[in-house]
Amino acid sequence: MRILGIIVVILTGALLIYAMGDFPSWADPASPAHNHVSPRYIEKSLEQTSVPNIVTAVLADYRGYDTMFETTVVFAAGVVCFFLLRIPRKDEPTVRRYRHTLTGMTIRVKETRQIPPVLEEFERIDTLWAPHDLIIKTCCRILVPFLQLFGLYVIAHGHHSPGGGFQGGVILGASMILLAISHDLRTAIGRMSERVHAILCPAGVFIYAGTGALCMVLGLNFLDYGALAGILHVDPVTARSHGILIVEIGVGLAVMATMIWIYNNISSKGKYDEGL
Amino acid sequence: MSQHYPALLVIVPLLSALLISIVGWLNKRFCFPIAVAALSVSLYSSVGLLLRVMDEKVILYFLGGWDPPWGIAYSVDHLSALVLVVVSVVALLNLIATQKSVEQEFSEKIGAFYTLYLLLITGLLGIVVTGDAFNLYVLLEITALTGYGLIAMGEDRAPLASLNYVYMGTIGACFYLLGIGYLYISTGSLNMTNISSILPGLYDSKVVLAAFIICIVGVFLKMAFFPLHAWLPNAYTYAPSAVSSLVAPLMTKVMIYVMIRLMLTVFTPAFTFSNLALSNSVVWLAVIAISMGAVLALGARDMKKMLCYVVIAEVGYMVGGAWLGNRAGMTGAILHIANDALMTLCVFLAVGNIVYKVRGYAFEDLKGMFRKMPYTMTGLVAGALSMIGVPPTCGFFSKWYLISGGIQAGQYGFVAALVFSSLINAVLFFRIIEIGYYEPFGADHGHGSSPVRMAEAPLTMVVPLLIVAGGLVMMGVYTGDIITHIIEPIIPPAIGN
Repeated sequence: MRILGIIVVILTGALLIYAMGDFPSWADPASPAHNHVSPRYIEKSLEQTSVPNIVTAVLADYRGYDTMFETTVVFAAGVVCFFLLRIPRKDEPTVRRYRHTLTGMTIRVKETRQIPPVLEEFERIDTLWAPHDLIIKTCCRILVPFLQLFGLYVIAHGHHSPGGGFQGGVILGASMILLAISHDLRTAIGRMSERVHAILCPAGVFIYAGTGALCMVLGLNFLDYGALAGILHVDPVTARSHGILIVEIGVGLAVMATMIWIYNNISSKGKYDEGL
Repeated sequence: MSQHYPALLVIVPLLSALLISIVGWLNKRFCFPIAVAALSVSLYSSVGLLLRVMDEKVILYFLGGWDPPWGIAYSVDHLSALVLVVVSVVALLNLIATQKSVEQEFSEKIGAFYTLYLLLITGLLGIVVTGDAFNLYVLLEITALTGYGLIAMGEDRAPLASLNYVYMGTIGACFYLLGIGYLYISTGSLNMTNISSILPGLYDSKVVLAAFIICIVGVFLKMAFFPLHAWLPNAYTYAPSAVSSLVAPLMTKVMIYVMIRLMLTVFTPAFTFSNLALSNSVVWLAVIAISMGAVLALGARDMKKMLCYVVIAEVGYMVGGAWLGNRAGMTGAILHIANDALMTLCVFLAVGNIVYKVRGYAFEDLKGMFRKMPYTMTGLVAGALSMIGVPPTCGFFSKWYLISGGIQAGQYGFVAALVFSSLINAVLFFRIIEIGYYEPFGADHGHGSSPVRMAEAPLTMVVPLLIVAGGLVMMGVYTGDIITHIIEPIIPPAIGN
């Protein structure tokens, strides 16, 4: 079986190397990939979409339909993680640990959902609890707002520089995950509950697909942002640029929420109470 | 509105999936009605497209208003319209038929289940309707990802089976993507019609040859064509019954559609059948696939696994028929996409009903089943007759075309394999009928034992099953019309008799 596997791998590799013989040479300006569709993207994209960044124009407009489904793939990954991992609340362990903040004494509470609120100086801790490092905690807390600001900048600036919804969304998501890692999962969930990110995720994709459907309702083809000109009170070419910004915001929301959703599900093994 | 059918077909299920995902957090009861409404719109649009395609031949739809090859275009011809109707019919009937068992199995996560269900259908419809080779890959990803998730929610070994499927499916999708990359290197285009107009000058290029082989192997992996079938039996057996009755009829069939699309549209029949000396070997692989599928089905210990091996044999039918290189074979293969989707749905729905009632699908669970669930068993028998190929069910007609194609091409091995597999199917299904009909009488000789009570599955499960069973006969009766109006125009004149 092993030998058979090696033979198959060698044969496939041989086929691929054999095919390389007819590849256009490296950086050949005459190769088909440089001469068929690319020239129009390079020469016309600014004039047709008023977006200076060609990559953004191709990604979100000429081939925006693919990008919509790529966002859907991200969303689907989030739903699958939730579907497979999330354990309904009733299966939660019945033992919870609390730490007395003044003395450092820990107690275990069985069966009850929460300890009485009068005992304010007790804080809930994870099973594998380690004392938090004040330096890490403080640094990360200071870092998070700047990360989020940068994430918003990356989303908004995709028209002019490298960036866009996917990258910005990842940075936004990472900021929440940083909070969860430096503090604990409950703090992060306290900032953004499960319901919020689980609804933001489809809502982000909905902004994308909904914009496309709106173009259809307004009389042009699906995702033909030119149709938005009437609503936005601009000419059709500028409307394309604005349309791209709208869908990038949708992508950003979807990617951010999915990152958090997947992280929370995996790190807490679907229980949403404690984890990394 | 009718000019937007190609987009509506895909967009409505997508938007509804997102809506369900949101609504699922607020009120679970709305999930199912939204899903039914979405798939009804898809069905309506695909039937509308089929009717339009008969007059207009090819319908194009430019997404984003960009003309191809710069933008992405949908292009619907007879072949895609036929498969679209099949996909949306199967998806809608299965959705309604499995409502109860979904409630039983996923009461907590109904929103997520229907979200994934609709995304899977979005992916399948998108694969069929698209005219862009890369867009096809993106939708392949959606279909695969949601499929993995749905399958992994099944019983005991389902997560492992799904993981196996993840590995194999990912390799298959990567191969397809690599092939498209090679095509892009040599043509600079991703639009299928555009590629096919550039390619004829490049047929001697090694890159194009490698691209074709890699794409086809990737698609073979995805459709579980022997010897790349190992992931399928476990994945489809351990999947929840609502999922196996969705993926078993549709996934493999849509992949066969992709293969035929690659063979006829992206590449020309002349290249596929003449430039390459592959046809013969693929047909022989199909012969092995059919025989192995049949033999393994005979050795299966339970009903679902047996049906999974039958699915593998059926894949062999269609691949073999398509690669025979003559009109009859191609007609048989395309007709069999529709027929096989319906009959696989029929038998899997019947098994789903049995699982719902007795919570098992081993052969022993079938004892006395004709008394207990007479309507479900009627459906199962109709599906079984069609799989065996008894007229007037539709299975007979597609098999007839495949066999006559095999004879015309002089591929007697293929003909023999088809006959062999039909005989094995007869043995398989009569064994089930025997257990279901006679077993309790043999056991207690009828002495004072309480007769088996009738305990049929709910009406919402039985009615769709019987509709499908009736559909099998209707498809058989109208085979002639389907072939002259829909299938004949698909096959390019380059494929001779």
